[in-house]
Amino acid sequence: MKNSKQMASRYAWFWLVGLVVVTAHAKAAQQPPSPTYKDAEVSVRVIMRTPDQLTAFYLGREFNHAAIDKILETCFITPIVQNRTLDVLWLDLDEWQFSQGDKVIPRIKRDYWPDKWQETGLSKSHQSTFGWTLMPEVRDLRLDEGVGGSVVIPMQTGPFQLTMKFHTGADKKGPVKTVVFEDLQCVTN
Amino acid sequence: MRNKLTRVRALACVFLLFLSSQVAAGQTPKGIITLDGRDAPPLVLKNMDGESWDISDSRGHWVFVHFWASWCGPCRKEMPTIQAIFPQFDPKELEIVLVNTSESEDTVFSFLASVAPDLEPLMDYDGAITERWQPRGLPASFFVDPEGKLRYLALGGRPWNTPAYLDFIKQLIRK
Repeated sequence: MKNSKQMASRYAWFWLVGLVVVTAHAKAAQQPPSPTYKDAEVSVRVIMRTPDQLTAFYLGREFNHAAIDKILETCFITPIVQNRTLDVLWLDLDEWQFSQGDKVIPRIKRDYWPDKWQETGLSKSHQSTFGWTLMPEVRDLRLDEGVGGSVVIPMQTGPFQLTMKFHTGADKKGPVKTVVFEDLQCVTN
Repeated sequence: MRNKLTRVRALACVFLLFLSSQVAAGQTPKGIITLDGRDAPPLVLKNMDGESWDISDSRGHWVFVHFWASWCGPCRKEMPTIQAIFPQFDPKELEIVLVNTSESEDTVFSFLASVAPDLEPLMDYDGAITERWQPRGLPASFFVDPEGKLRYLALGGRPWNTPAYLDFIKQLIRK
Protein backbone atom coordinates (compact mmCIF):
# COMPACT_ATOMS: atom_id res chain seq x y z
CA MET A 1 0.00 0.00 0.00
CA LYS A 2 2.81 2.28 0.94
CA ASN A 3 4.51 1.39 -2.34
CA SER A 4 1.46 2.17 -4.43
CA LYS A 5 1.06 5.50 -2.64
CA GLN A 6 4.70 6.28 -3.30
CA MET A 7 4.28 5.29 -6.95
CA ALA A 8 1.16 7.43 -7.27
CA SER A 9 2.88 10.45 -5.79
CA ARG A 10 5.89 9.83 -8.01
CA TYR A 11 3.70 9.70 -11.14
CA ALA A 12 1.81 12.80 -10.00
CA TRP A 13 5.16 14.57 -9.71
CA PHE A 14 6.16 13.49 -13.22
CA TRP A 15 2.82 14.68 -14.60
CA LEU A 16 3.28 18.04 -12.93
CA VAL A 17 6.80 18.46 -14.25
CA GLY A 18 5.69 17.18 -17.66
CA LEU A 19 2.91 19.74 -17.75
CA VAL A 20 5.32 22.56 -17.02
CA VAL A 21 7.72 21.26 -19.67
CA VAL A 22 4.95 21.03 -22.27
CA THR A 23 3.85 24.58 -21.45
CA ALA A 24 7.41 25.78 -21.73
CA HIS A 25 7.83 24.02 -25.07
CA ALA A 26 4.61 25.53 -26.39
CA LYS A 27 5.84 29.00 -25.46
CA ALA A 28 9.32 28.24 -26.83
CA ALA A 29 7.72 27.49 -30.17
CA GLN A 30 6.53 31.11 -30.24
CA GLN A 31 10.04 32.43 -29.58
CA PRO A 32 12.13 33.78 -32.46
CA PRO A 33 14.91 31.38 -33.59
CA SER A 34 18.13 31.44 -31.59
CA PRO A 35 20.79 33.74 -33.09
CA THR A 36 23.64 31.76 -34.62
CA TYR A 37 27.06 32.44 -36.10
CA LYS A 38 29.13 29.98 -38.09
CA ASP A 39 32.32 30.18 -40.11
CA ALA A 40 35.35 27.97 -40.74
CA GLU A 41 36.69 28.58 -37.22
CA VAL A 42 33.79 28.64 -34.81
CA SER A 43 30.09 28.11 -34.56
CA VAL A 44 28.01 29.74 -31.85
CA ARG A 45 24.33 29.50 -31.06
CA VAL A 46 22.83 31.75 -28.40
CA ILE A 47 19.68 30.59 -26.66
CA MET A 48 17.79 33.04 -24.45
CA ARG A 49 16.09 31.14 -21.64
CA THR A 50 12.52 32.02 -20.70
CA PRO A 51 11.37 32.01 -17.07
CA ASP A 52 9.12 29.04 -17.93
CA GLN A 53 12.04 27.06 -19.34
CA LEU A 54 14.20 27.83 -16.32
CA THR A 55 11.41 26.96 -13.91
CA ALA A 56 10.68 23.68 -15.70
CA PHE A 57 14.32 22.70 -15.81
CA TYR A 58 15.20 23.43 -12.20
CA LEU A 59 11.85 22.24 -10.84
CA GLY A 60 12.51 19.01 -12.72
CA ARG A 61 15.82 18.79 -10.87
CA GLU A 62 13.89 19.23 -7.60
CA PHE A 63 15.17 22.72 -6.77
CA ASN A 64 13.04 24.52 -4.20
CA HIS A 65 10.83 27.42 -5.30
CA ALA A 66 12.77 30.04 -3.32
CA ALA A 67 15.95 29.09 -5.20
CA ILE A 68 14.14 29.19 -8.54
CA ASP A 69 12.82 32.66 -7.67
CA LYS A 70 16.42 33.82 -7.19
CA ILE A 71 17.30 32.39 -10.60
CA LEU A 72 14.33 34.16 -12.21
CA GLU A 73 15.52 37.53 -10.90
CA THR A 74 18.38 37.30 -13.41
CA CYS A 75 18.74 36.81 -17.18
CA PHE A 76 20.05 33.44 -18.42
CA ILE A 77 21.78 33.20 -21.77
CA THR A 78 22.92 29.79 -23.01
CA PRO A 79 25.59 29.95 -25.71
CA ILE A 80 26.75 26.75 -27.39
CA VAL A 81 30.25 27.11 -28.83
CA GLN A 82 31.96 24.66 -31.17
CA ASN A 83 35.63 24.85 -32.10
CA ARG A 84 35.98 24.37 -35.86
CA THR A 85 39.64 25.41 -36.09
CA LEU A 86 42.45 22.86 -36.35
CA ASP A 87 43.97 24.41 -33.24
CA VAL A 88 42.96 25.22 -29.66
CA LEU A 89 40.17 27.81 -29.34
CA TRP A 90 40.02 29.44 -25.91
CA LEU A 91 36.74 30.04 -24.18
CA ASP A 92 37.37 32.66 -21.49
CA LEU A 93 34.25 34.35 -20.15
CA ASP A 94 36.28 37.33 -18.93
CA GLU A 95 36.94 38.02 -22.62
CA TRP A 96 33.21 38.32 -23.31
CA GLN A 97 31.43 41.62 -22.88
CA PHE A 98 27.76 42.40 -22.52
CA SER A 99 26.86 46.01 -23.30
CA GLN A 100 23.97 48.35 -23.92
CA GLY A 101 25.18 51.33 -25.96
CA ASP A 102 28.25 52.61 -24.13
CA LYS A 103 27.27 50.94 -20.88
CA VAL A 104 28.96 47.69 -19.94
CA ILE A 105 26.67 45.14 -18.31
CA PRO A 106 28.59 43.27 -15.62
CA ARG A 107 28.29 39.51 -15.79
CA ILE A 108 26.95 37.68 -12.74
CA LYS A 109 29.78 35.36 -11.79
CA ARG A 110 29.79 32.12 -9.86
CA ASP A 111 30.62 33.81 -6.56
CA TYR A 112 27.22 35.57 -6.64
CA TRP A 113 25.30 32.38 -5.99
CA PRO A 114 26.50 30.86 -2.67
CA ASP A 115 24.81 33.64 -0.64
CA LYS A 116 21.57 33.10 -2.56
CA TRP A 117 21.69 29.38 -1.89
CA GLN A 118 22.37 30.04 1.78
CA GLU A 119 19.26 32.29 1.93
CA THR A 120 17.09 29.76 0.14
CA GLY A 121 18.41 26.63 1.82
CA LEU A 122 19.42 24.96 -1.43
CA SER A 123 21.18 21.66 -0.73
CA LYS A 124 24.81 21.00 -1.63
CA SER A 125 23.80 18.50 -4.30
CA HIS A 126 21.53 21.04 -5.99
CA GLN A 127 24.26 23.66 -5.75
CA SER A 128 26.57 21.21 -7.50
CA THR A 129 24.00 20.57 -10.23
CA PHE A 130 23.54 24.31 -10.69
CA GLY A 131 27.30 24.75 -11.06
CA TRP A 132 27.43 22.15 -13.83
CA THR A 133 24.67 23.92 -15.75
CA LEU A 134 26.75 27.12 -15.93
CA MET A 135 29.22 27.75 -18.75
CA PRO A 136 32.79 26.98 -17.64
CA GLU A 137 34.81 30.14 -16.98
CA VAL A 138 37.80 28.99 -19.05
CA ARG A 139 38.18 26.07 -21.44
CA ASP A 140 40.82 25.22 -24.04
CA LEU A 141 38.51 23.80 -26.68
CA ARG A 142 40.20 21.10 -28.73
CA LEU A 143 39.52 20.27 -32.35
CA ASP A 144 35.78 19.80 -32.85
CA GLU A 145 35.10 20.15 -29.11
CA GLY A 146 31.93 21.94 -28.11
CA VAL A 147 30.80 23.51 -24.88
CA GLY A 148 27.52 24.89 -23.67
CA GLY A 149 26.10 26.29 -20.46
CA SER A 150 24.43 29.31 -18.99
CA VAL A 151 25.95 32.75 -18.68
CA VAL A 152 24.07 35.09 -16.37
CA ILE A 153 23.58 38.86 -16.34
CA PRO A 154 21.22 41.13 -14.38
CA MET A 155 17.73 41.28 -15.91
CA GLN A 156 17.66 43.83 -18.77
CA THR A 157 14.63 45.61 -20.14
CA GLY A 158 16.12 46.68 -23.48
CA PRO A 159 18.20 44.99 -26.19
CA PHE A 160 21.89 44.42 -25.52
CA GLN A 161 25.00 43.28 -27.34
CA LEU A 162 27.30 40.36 -26.60
CA THR A 163 30.88 40.50 -27.88
CA MET A 164 32.76 37.22 -27.63
CA LYS A 165 36.54 37.17 -28.04
CA PHE A 166 38.32 33.85 -28.49
CA HIS A 167 42.08 33.51 -28.36
CA THR A 168 43.53 30.72 -30.46
CA GLY A 169 46.54 28.43 -30.22
CA ALA A 170 47.69 26.38 -27.27
CA ASP A 171 49.74 29.38 -26.06
CA LYS A 172 46.92 31.85 -26.89
CA LYS A 173 49.22 33.61 -29.33
CA GLY A 174 47.20 32.88 -32.47
CA PRO A 175 44.78 35.33 -34.09
CA VAL A 176 41.93 36.55 -31.90
CA LYS A 177 38.49 35.62 -33.14
CA THR A 178 35.64 38.02 -32.39
CA VAL A 179 31.94 37.22 -32.71
CA VAL A 180 29.27 39.84 -31.99
CA PHE A 181 25.59 39.28 -31.34
CA GLU A 182 23.42 42.41 -31.49
CA ASP A 183 19.92 43.01 -30.23
CA LEU A 184 19.73 40.19 -27.73
CA GLN A 185 16.83 40.43 -25.29
CA CYS A 186 16.18 38.88 -21.92
CA VAL A 187 12.98 36.91 -22.37
CA THR A 188 9.99 37.24 -20.10
CA ASN A 189 6.94 35.00 -20.27
CA MET B 1 27.53 -7.80 -60.40
CA ARG B 2 30.54 -9.91 -59.33
CA ASN B 3 32.83 -6.91 -60.01
CA LYS B 4 30.66 -4.72 -57.81
CA LEU B 5 30.83 -7.24 -54.95
CA THR B 6 34.60 -7.50 -55.30
CA ARG B 7 34.89 -3.72 -55.15
CA VAL B 8 32.72 -3.53 -52.00
CA ARG B 9 34.82 -6.24 -50.34
CA ALA B 10 38.03 -4.48 -51.31
CA LEU B 11 36.74 -1.20 -49.88
CA ALA B 12 35.71 -2.94 -46.66
CA CYS B 13 39.20 -4.47 -46.37
CA VAL B 14 40.85 -1.08 -46.92
CA PHE B 15 38.59 0.44 -44.25
CA LEU B 16 39.41 -2.31 -41.74
CA LEU B 17 43.13 -2.00 -42.51
CA PHE B 18 42.85 1.76 -41.97
CA LEU B 19 41.12 1.27 -38.61
CA SER B 20 43.63 -1.32 -37.40
CA SER B 21 46.59 0.82 -38.53
CA GLN B 22 45.20 3.75 -36.55
CA VAL B 23 44.89 1.64 -33.43
CA ALA B 24 48.31 0.08 -33.97
CA ALA B 25 49.82 3.53 -34.34
CA GLY B 26 48.37 4.48 -30.98
CA GLN B 27 46.03 7.07 -32.49
CA THR B 28 42.88 7.83 -30.60
CA PRO B 29 39.42 8.10 -32.06
CA LYS B 30 37.74 11.49 -32.40
CA GLY B 31 37.16 13.28 -29.11
CA ILE B 32 39.57 11.24 -27.01
CA ILE B 33 42.55 13.14 -25.65
CA THR B 34 45.68 11.73 -24.09
CA LEU B 35 46.32 12.76 -20.49
CA ASP B 36 49.64 13.18 -18.75
CA GLY B 37 49.48 10.03 -16.66
CA ARG B 38 49.09 11.66 -13.26
CA ASP B 39 47.55 9.61 -10.45
CA ALA B 40 43.78 9.26 -10.63
CA PRO B 41 42.13 11.20 -7.79
CA PRO B 42 40.59 9.16 -4.97
CA LEU B 43 37.18 7.69 -5.73
CA VAL B 44 35.30 5.97 -2.96
CA LEU B 45 31.53 5.98 -3.37
CA LYS B 46 28.50 3.80 -2.71
CA ASN B 47 26.01 2.48 -5.21
CA MET B 48 22.23 2.63 -4.68
CA ASP B 49 22.35 -0.59 -2.63
CA GLY B 50 24.81 1.03 -0.25
CA GLU B 51 27.76 -1.06 -1.45
CA SER B 52 31.04 0.81 -1.41
CA TRP B 53 33.49 0.88 -4.32
CA ASP B 54 37.08 2.14 -4.12
CA ILE B 55 39.17 2.74 -7.21
CA SER B 56 42.32 1.81 -5.31
CA ASP B 57 41.03 -1.77 -5.27
CA SER B 58 41.09 -1.82 -9.07
CA ARG B 59 44.83 -1.95 -9.66
CA GLY B 60 45.85 -4.48 -12.30
CA HIS B 61 43.19 -3.65 -14.87
CA TRP B 62 41.80 -0.66 -16.78
CA VAL B 63 38.89 1.32 -15.39
CA PHE B 64 36.45 3.37 -17.45
CA VAL B 65 35.16 6.09 -15.10
CA HIS B 66 32.14 7.85 -16.53
CA PHE B 67 30.62 11.00 -14.99
CA TRP B 68 27.04 11.81 -15.96
CA ALA B 69 23.70 13.29 -14.93
CA SER B 70 20.25 12.53 -16.29
CA TRP B 71 19.48 16.20 -16.97
CA CYS B 72 22.31 16.46 -19.48
CA GLY B 73 21.23 15.79 -23.06
CA PRO B 74 24.50 14.28 -24.35
CA CYS B 75 24.59 11.97 -21.28
CA ARG B 76 21.14 10.63 -22.13
CA LYS B 77 22.17 10.03 -25.73
CA GLU B 78 25.42 8.32 -24.78
CA MET B 79 24.16 6.02 -22.02
CA PRO B 80 22.66 3.30 -24.30
CA THR B 81 26.05 2.97 -26.01
CA ILE B 82 27.70 2.28 -22.64
CA GLN B 83 24.99 -0.26 -21.86
CA ALA B 84 25.74 -1.89 -25.25
CA ILE B 85 29.46 -2.36 -24.55
CA PHE B 86 29.06 -3.31 -20.89
CA PRO B 87 28.59 -7.07 -21.48
CA GLN B 88 31.48 -7.18 -23.95
CA PHE B 89 34.21 -6.64 -21.36
CA ASP B 90 35.38 -8.82 -18.53
CA PRO B 91 35.62 -6.63 -15.40
CA LYS B 92 39.02 -8.22 -14.76
CA GLU B 93 40.20 -6.46 -17.95
CA LEU B 94 38.06 -3.35 -18.01
CA GLU B 95 35.79 -2.21 -15.24
CA ILE B 96 33.03 0.15 -16.36
CA VAL B 97 32.14 2.52 -13.54
CA LEU B 98 29.42 5.15 -13.68
CA VAL B 99 29.41 8.10 -11.31
CA ASN B 100 26.17 10.02 -11.12
CA THR B 101 26.72 13.67 -10.28
CA SER B 102 24.46 15.12 -7.59
CA GLU B 103 21.14 13.48 -8.35
CA SER B 104 18.68 11.58 -6.20
CA GLU B 105 18.19 7.81 -6.34
CA ASP B 106 14.65 8.24 -7.69
CA THR B 107 15.87 10.36 -10.59
CA VAL B 108 18.73 8.01 -11.41
CA PHE B 109 16.60 4.89 -11.14
CA SER B 110 13.83 6.33 -13.31
CA PHE B 111 16.29 7.09 -16.09
CA LEU B 112 18.60 4.07 -15.98
CA ALA B 113 15.88 1.45 -15.60
CA SER B 114 14.72 2.15 -19.13
CA VAL B 115 17.97 2.78 -20.99
CA ALA B 116 20.73 0.95 -19.13
CA PRO B 117 19.26 -1.62 -16.76
CA ASP B 118 22.56 -3.53 -16.29
CA LEU B 119 24.51 -0.53 -15.07
CA GLU B 120 24.78 0.22 -11.36
CA PRO B 121 25.97 3.76 -10.83
CA LEU B 122 27.92 5.08 -7.90
CA MET B 123 26.18 8.01 -6.29
CA ASP B 124 28.13 11.24 -5.85
CA TYR B 125 25.30 12.85 -3.92
CA ASP B 126 26.97 16.18 -3.18
CA GLY B 127 29.11 16.30 -6.34
CA ALA B 128 32.35 16.47 -4.33
CA ILE B 129 34.04 13.56 -6.11
CA THR B 130 33.09 14.95 -9.51
CA GLU B 131 34.60 18.30 -8.51
CA ARG B 132 37.77 16.51 -7.45
CA TRP B 133 38.10 14.74 -10.82
CA GLN B 134 37.47 17.96 -12.75
CA PRO B 135 35.87 16.53 -15.89
CA ARG B 136 35.53 18.99 -18.78
CA GLY B 137 31.76 19.16 -18.31
CA LEU B 138 29.24 16.33 -18.35
CA PRO B 139 29.36 13.69 -19.64
CA ALA B 140 33.03 12.79 -19.39
CA SER B 141 34.82 9.45 -19.39
CA PHE B 142 38.30 8.81 -18.03
CA PHE B 143 40.43 5.78 -18.78
CA VAL B 144 42.52 4.82 -15.75
CA ASP B 145 45.35 2.39 -16.42
CA PRO B 146 46.20 -0.71 -14.32
CA GLU B 147 48.64 1.38 -12.24
CA GLY B 148 45.94 3.87 -11.33
CA LYS B 149 47.10 6.63 -13.70
CA LEU B 150 44.84 8.86 -15.80
CA ARG B 151 45.62 8.00 -19.43
CA TYR B 152 42.76 9.22 -21.64
CA LEU B 153 39.73 11.46 -21.42
CA ALA B 154 36.74 11.31 -23.73
CA LEU B 155 35.31 14.76 -24.42
CA GLY B 156 31.55 14.82 -24.17
CA GLY B 157 29.35 11.94 -25.30
CA ARG B 158 30.91 9.30 -27.56
CA PRO B 159 29.33 6.40 -29.49
CA TRP B 160 31.14 3.68 -27.57
CA ASN B 161 29.48 0.83 -29.45
CA THR B 162 30.92 1.87 -32.83
CA PRO B 163 34.01 0.12 -34.27
CA ALA B 164 36.46 3.00 -33.80
CA TYR B 165 35.79 3.27 -30.06
CA LEU B 166 35.40 -0.45 -29.44
CA ASP B 167 38.69 -1.15 -31.21
CA PHE B 168 40.37 1.59 -29.21
CA ILE B 169 39.24 0.04 -25.92
CA LYS B 170 40.14 -3.51 -27.00
CA GLN B 171 43.58 -2.36 -28.05
CA LEU B 172 44.04 -0.64 -24.66
CA ILE B 173 43.21 -3.61 -22.53
CA ARG B 174 45.17 -6.08 -24.66
CA LYS B 175 48.38 -4.05 -24.65
